[in-house]
Amino acid sequence: MASERLEQFSSRWSLLISMVGIAVGTGNIWRFPRIAAKYEGGTFLIPWLIFLFLWSIPIILMEYAMGKGTRKGTVGSFAKLMGADHAWMGAFVGFVSTAIMFYYSVVSGWCLRYLVAALTGDLQGLDASGSLALWNQFINGYQPILFHFFSMAIGTFILFRGVVRGIEKANQVFIPSLVVLLLILLVRAVTLPGAWGGVQLFFTVRWELLLDHRVWLDALTQNAWSTGAGWGLILTYAVYMNKREDTVLNSSVTAFANHSLSLVSGIMIFATVYALIPLQARAVISEPGPLNTGLAFIWIPQLFSRLPGGYFFSIVFFLALFFASMSSLISMIELAVRVFNDAGVDRHLAIVGVGVVGFIMGIPSALSSSFFLNQDWVWGVGLIVSGAFFTLAVLRFGVSRFREIYINAEGTDIRVGRWYDLMVKVCIPVEVVALIGWWFWVVIRADPEGWWNPLKVESVGTCLFQWGLVLLIFVWLNRWMAHRTLEEP
Amino acid sequence: MSPGSLVVMLLVLTIVWGGLILMLVIALRREREKSRDEIKSS
Repeated sequence: MASERLEQFSSRWSLLISMVGIAVGTGNIWRFPRIAAKYEGGTFLIPWLIFLFLWSIPIILMEYAMGKGTRKGTVGSFAKLMGADHAWMGAFVGFVSTAIMFYYSVVSGWCLRYLVAALTGDLQGLDASGSLALWNQFINGYQPILFHFFSMAIGTFILFRGVVRGIEKANQVFIPSLVVLLLILLVRAVTLPGAWGGVQLFFTVRWELLLDHRVWLDALTQNAWSTGAGWGLILTYAVYMNKREDTVLNSSVTAFANHSLSLVSGIMIFATVYALIPLQARAVISEPGPLNTGLAFIWIPQLFSRLPGGYFFSIVFFLALFFASMSSLISMIELAVRVFNDAGVDRHLAIVGVGVVGFIMGIPSALSSSFFLNQDWVWGVGLIVSGAFFTLAVLRFGVSRFREIYINAEGTDIRVGRWYDLMVKVCIPVEVVALIGWWFWVVIRADPEGWWNPLKVESVGTCLFQWGLVLLIFVWLNRWMAHRTLEEP
Repeated sequence: MSPGSLVVMLLVLTIVWGGLILMLVIALRREREKSRDEIKSS
């Protein structure tokens, strides 16, 4: 059905910059420091680094190889790899990322609104109550919808221009600018008087905390949510790779670049907060705040207004945050567009359709914090199911066969050995079970009476109900989806 | 900064930032080799 010729990234560097754009998002800048602060920084870094090798790189490698090898989006890739009767699994993977896109665009809108506030000087001279009042005034009005609309409009406009002139060019602006902006903030942060106390805190390991299973599970969760592994986004961009392009080295660069920028953000946040409010530093960084945005939208405006040159650094921070969010948002829109395009829908029509539906479906999250938190919970944990589906696909195809045919294919710079089989057969399945089991256990323990209730914001019931509904629809549509996607012109 | 924190900092930064730089250097060399091969074959 997909009769039009596929565009290709113009070079390896363009591909890599776009892949890094997927991985690096708001989670690197505000989630990573918050979770690290829960475990005194350094303690968290050790398992976080270990799971880079045990989760992120192996799954990113799967995505690169599947996208490059099958030349299809999530639905077509799963159908080609596992057989036409498994297209529903690819559809579920695609839907999870698309459902995240609905509310992620709202988050991009928040970043854009605060960038505007930084530019107009509204963030200057804010104290704690002023900062909270600004947030409440924004979130309870019509503005979240307006800025969500702007984000979706910018995202769809970029995609409308195509892969090379749209995705590639946009990321060539977003990612190098993001790196420069974060480095400016890093230099400013570590040169503040007393900042090294924060850097020390960030790298202090309390070895006894490593015996706590929670630090390991939080580190695995951060890897699952922040690197883009298992989302289907990397698979989607890999469709536009040159056939002679490498997979292994590019996968590793993508994962390492994500972790590198997380470290820059972590050092920057710890140093800034510690320099300005040393006694409350850890509590402030680890405080989730409203909609888990406490650090970015409540504390950063206050802290930066106390800095010499705070006006300039507020703009730099929110511009970095906006670029990070947009580079991820366009990949989420592209994932859905690719799936429809594979099914024979004209690319431009698919972009407009996904843009309009994405805007409409994001409105409830823009209006209701309960709805936002529910969607974040359901599809955030759903990503682990997506990771499990990728693993199942490779297991069914045969790990060694997959390694030889798809990973160690033409153009690879580094050959992957048998260690990969062990990762896919043992490590990742154990991690999936541990993660889903843990997150459900946390919720059941927090709410022993209502954990089964599908109408609760964060419950096991709401996950199972929404996943079940989506799975049921995709299993029912399986034959039609596979037929539309796999049929050659 | 305590010696322990300093060691952890150097270790983490070497693995993550050093790893990234090393891989980028390998990628750069591979790209050069590929373009050299393409010039030869043409």
